Amino acid sequence: MSRKQAVWFRAAVCVTVAGLALAGCAKKENTGTGGSTQPTQTAGWPETPEVQIQDGKPGGTFRLAITEPTAIDPYNAQESEGILVAEAIFTGLIRVEPDGSVKPGVAEKWEPNDDCSQWTFTLKKGTKFHNGEEVNAESFKRGWTRAAVKSAASEVAYHLEPIDGYAALQGGTATDFAGVDATDPGTLKVKLSSPDCEFFLRTNHPVYSPVPSNAGAADNKTFNDMPVGNGPFKMAGPWEHDKGIKLLRFDDYGVDKKAYLDTVEITIAPNGAKDELDGFKNGTFDWARMPTPQLSDSRNTYEPQGKWIRKSTNGMNYLLPMGTQKPLDSAKARKAVSMAIDRNTIIEGVFKGSQVPSTTLLPPVFKDAYQAGVCTACNFNLDEAKKLANEAGLTPGTELNMQFNVDAGHEEWMAAIKQQLEQNLGLKITMTGVQFTDLLNNEQQPGATGLFRAAWGADYPTPGNYLSPLLSTDAIGAGPTEPTKGDNRGRYSNKAFDDLLVKARASKDQAERTKLYQEAEKLAIGEDLALIPLWNRIQMRLAATDKFINLRMNFNEHPDLPLISVK
Amino acid sequence: MGKFIIRRLAQAVLVIVAAMLLLFVALFTIGDPFASSGDKVVPPETQAALRAKFGLDRPLPMQFLVYLRNLFTGDLGIDFDQRREVSEMLAQAVPYTIRLAAVAIVIDILIGITAGVIAAVWRYSVWDVLVTILTTLAIGVPTFVIGLSLRATVSGEWFFPAVPRSAFGPEPFWLAEVLLPAITLAVVDAAFIARLMRGSMLEIMRADYVRTARAKGLSERKVIGKHVMRNSVIPVVTYVGIGIGVLLGGALITETIFQYQGVGFLLYKAILSNNNPIIMAVSAFAVITFVTLSLVVDVLYAYLDPRIRLS
Repeated sequence: MSRKQAVWFRAAVCVTVAGLALAGCAKKENTGTGGSTQPTQTAGWPETPEVQIQDGKPGGTFRLAITEPTAIDPYNAQESEGILVAEAIFTGLIRVEPDGSVKPGVAEKWEPNDDCSQWTFTLKKGTKFHNGEEVNAESFKRGWTRAAVKSAASEVAYHLEPIDGYAALQGGTATDFAGVDATDPGTLKVKLSSPDCEFFLRTNHPVYSPVPSNAGAADNKTFNDMPVGNGPFKMAGPWEHDKGIKLLRFDDYGVDKKAYLDTVEITIAPNGAKDELDGFKNGTFDWARMPTPQLSDSRNTYEPQGKWIRKSTNGMNYLLPMGTQKPLDSAKARKAVSMAIDRNTIIEGVFKGSQVPSTTLLPPVFKDAYQAGVCTACNFNLDEAKKLANEAGLTPGTELNMQFNVDAGHEEWMAAIKQQLEQNLGLKITMTGVQFTDLLNNEQQPGATGLFRAAWGADYPTPGNYLSPLLSTDAIGAGPTEPTKGDNRGRYSNKAFDDLLVKARASKDQAERTKLYQEAEKLAIGEDLALIPLWNRIQMRLAATDKFINLRMNFNEHPDLPLISVK
Repeated sequence: MGKFIIRRLAQAVLVIVAAMLLLFVALFTIGDPFASSGDKVVPPETQAALRAKFGLDRPLPMQFLVYLRNLFTGDLGIDFDQRREVSEMLAQAVPYTIRLAAVAIVIDILIGITAGVIAAVWRYSVWDVLVTILTTLAIGVPTFVIGLSLRATVSGEWFFPAVPRSAFGPEPFWLAEVLLPAITLAVVDAAFIARLMRGSMLEIMRADYVRTARAKGLSERKVIGKHVMRNSVIPVVTYVGIGIGVLLGGALITETIFQYQGVGFLLYKAILSNNNPIIMAVSAFAVITFVTLSLVVDVLYAYLDPRIRLS
C-alpha cells in the first residue's frame, strides 16, 4: 500500500469506527439473535411499489443524461450507456421484463430440438427497419456475423460463442456463420456447438440484434454513429459525440405497440450521476441517478413527492473467499467469517440505509428462484461464529488478507468489515487497496488467499448466469498451479453442484430448471458458502412523475422508454 | 534572428521525439489497456483480437517507430475505445481550448498587472494589503473548489449557461460558455502575476535609471508607465508564456466541471479508460505548443529588453 493510500485508509477507518460506535449503541438489542432465517428485510430503506402500467397518449419529450458511450452500434455496445441507446433503437428475438421474465420480440415463438442443440425461431411477419426494409432471418444472420468476424474485434462478440461456426469467424478462417441458417426468411435456425436449453435467453444481448442490408462492416462509420435499427425509437440524426443523441418514435414499429413519446433527448454529460442529479434539480432532465453521498438528501426531498424509485435489481455484492487455500479452505471457516460480519450495522452506519443485506447469491429479482435465507451463515451470530472459527482452526491471531479496488467507494465498508473481523474473531487482517486490473490479476493467481471484494450481474436473465460462471468447475479454466481463466476465481469445485447445473442446462422445462438451480444454490451457498453474500444490488433513480406516467426501471436498470407517456 | 529560430525548431523536433518516447514507454509498458478491469474477465481471445486490431501485438520498438512515422505525417491513429480518428477528435477540441486559454490569459493579465501595479505604487497602503490578502487566498484555494462553487452558484444565472444543460436547447454564445471556466482558471494565475508584478516593480523602482528619470523631471506617470512597467513586465511575460502553454495542454479538472469540450476534457476521459492514442496525441499537441510558446517568449524578451541579443 502506498503512503497516500495508507493515510486515506486510516482516515476511512477512523470515520467508520466512529460511525459504527454510534450505530452499534443504538441497535444493541437487535444483535446476537441470528440463526433464524428471516425472509423480511432487516435493514435499509424499503423498495418503492410496483408501477401500474397505464395506457398513454402520443407526444412529449423525455430528457435524460448519460456519459459518452463506447458504442451504440450493437456490434460493440457494451456498457450501460451504450446498451440504453442500443435497446431503444433495436429489438432482438426476445425481450425481457423488469422481473427477468421473457416476452416475444421479433421472434413470435422459439423451439429447441430434443437435446437443445438446435433452435428454431419463428419470426413475426412484416416487421420493419427504420428505413422500411423488412426484418427477416437474414437480417439476424447479417448482424451476428458482422459482430463475430475477426476484423470487427468486437468486445462483446463472445456472447455469440455457443453458436456453431463462431470459432471459425473469430479465427478469420470463415466469413459465413456456419451455425446460422436463414434460408427461409421467416425462420431462423441456429445450431449450437454444445447443447443449451437456455440459449434463447442469450439473444437478449444487443449483439444479437438484426441489422439492415446497408449496415456494412463493423467499421462503417456512418452506421456506427447513426444505426438503422428495428426498435421502438429511431435516430433523429447522427450521434453528436460528447454532446447528445436524439431519438424519435418509430411509427411503423411492428413488434409491439408503438412508443408514446415523440422524442427522447439524451444529453451527454461528463460527470455522470452528479450531472444527472444537478440537471434533475434544475429541471433539465426527467430521470437521474445520484452520487452515493447525495442519496439520503435526495430521498428526503423526492420520496415525499413520489419522484423516488428504489428497486432491487440484477446483481449481487459479495466477498470472494479463496476456498482452496488456508485459512478459508473449509466451509466452517468461511461461515465463521460470514457470521462474524454484522451486515445490518454496516448498512446503517456506513451506508446510512441505502443498501439491503443479502441472504442469497441469486438476487430477489429472480422471483421464482429466489430463496431468502438460503445462506444461513449470512446472519450475524457471534457465538456460533466463534465456535465455528475454533473448529476450523481460525484462531485469534490467524492472518487473513483482504483486498478491494480503490476509488470506487469501497474503502469505508471494507474497513468496517476488517474492524468487525478483528474485533469479533481476533483475526490479524492485512487489507490492501489496489487498482481494479490488479485486483482481478491477484485473484487469478494460484497462491491467492483471503477475501476479495466482488460483485456480479447476469448478462442473461437466468440464475444459471450466476451459478455457472461463478461456481462451476469449468469456469475455473485452469489447473491448481495456473492462474484462473474464467470467472470462478475462488476455484470452488463440487461434483454434485456441477451435475445439477448440467441437468438444468439440459432441461427444457423452466420450472424444473428453477428447481435445479435452487438446489445448486443450496449446495454452494447454503452448505459450502463458496461466496459470502453481503448486500443485494439495489438501484435508486429520480423520475419526473409530475409530468410522465409509467416511469419504471427495465431489466437493464434504464427507464423503460417505450412505455413512458406524458400525463 | 532567422538562424536562432531555425536552430530552436530543430531542437523542438528532438524534444518532441524524446517526450513521445518517454510517454510511449510509460503508457505501453505499464498496464495493459485491454486487460480485464471490471467484475468480469474479458476472454483471452477477445483481448488478443483487440491487441491485433490496434497493432499492439508487434514488438514495442517497432510500435514506436510506426507511431513516430505516423505522427510526423499527421496520422494520430484511431482511439482504443470508440475507434474514431484521433486527429478528428483533437481538431474538434483544440478550438475550444484555445478560446478558453485566450480568455483566461486576458483576465489574468488585466487583473494581475493592474493589481500588481497598484500594490507596488501605493506600497503598504490599504490597497496593497488587500492585494496581498486576496492573492494569498486565491493561491491557497484549490482550482476545483473555485470551479465547483461557481458551478453551484452562478451557472444558469444571468447570461451564464446552466451546467449541466441539455444538448438540445439553444447553443450558448461562446463567450458566455467560456467565461466561468476561464475565471476559474484565471484566479490563481492572476494572483501569481499580481505578486510577480509587484515584486519586480518594487525592485526596479529603486534602480538608478529610475532615479535618473525622476531627476530629469519626468512626470511620475511617465516614470512608472514608460520606465518601470516596461522593465518589470519581463518575469510576467515568462510566467504568462508558461501559463498559456499549460492552459493549451488542457485544463482537465476545470473543463470537466463545466462540461466544456476542450483538450483537457478529452485527456481526462482518455486517462480514465487507458486510451493511449488520445493521451499520446494530446501530449504531442501540448509539447508542440509549449516549445513554440517558449520560442515566442524568447523573441519577446529581445523586444522588451534591448540588451538581450538573440544570436
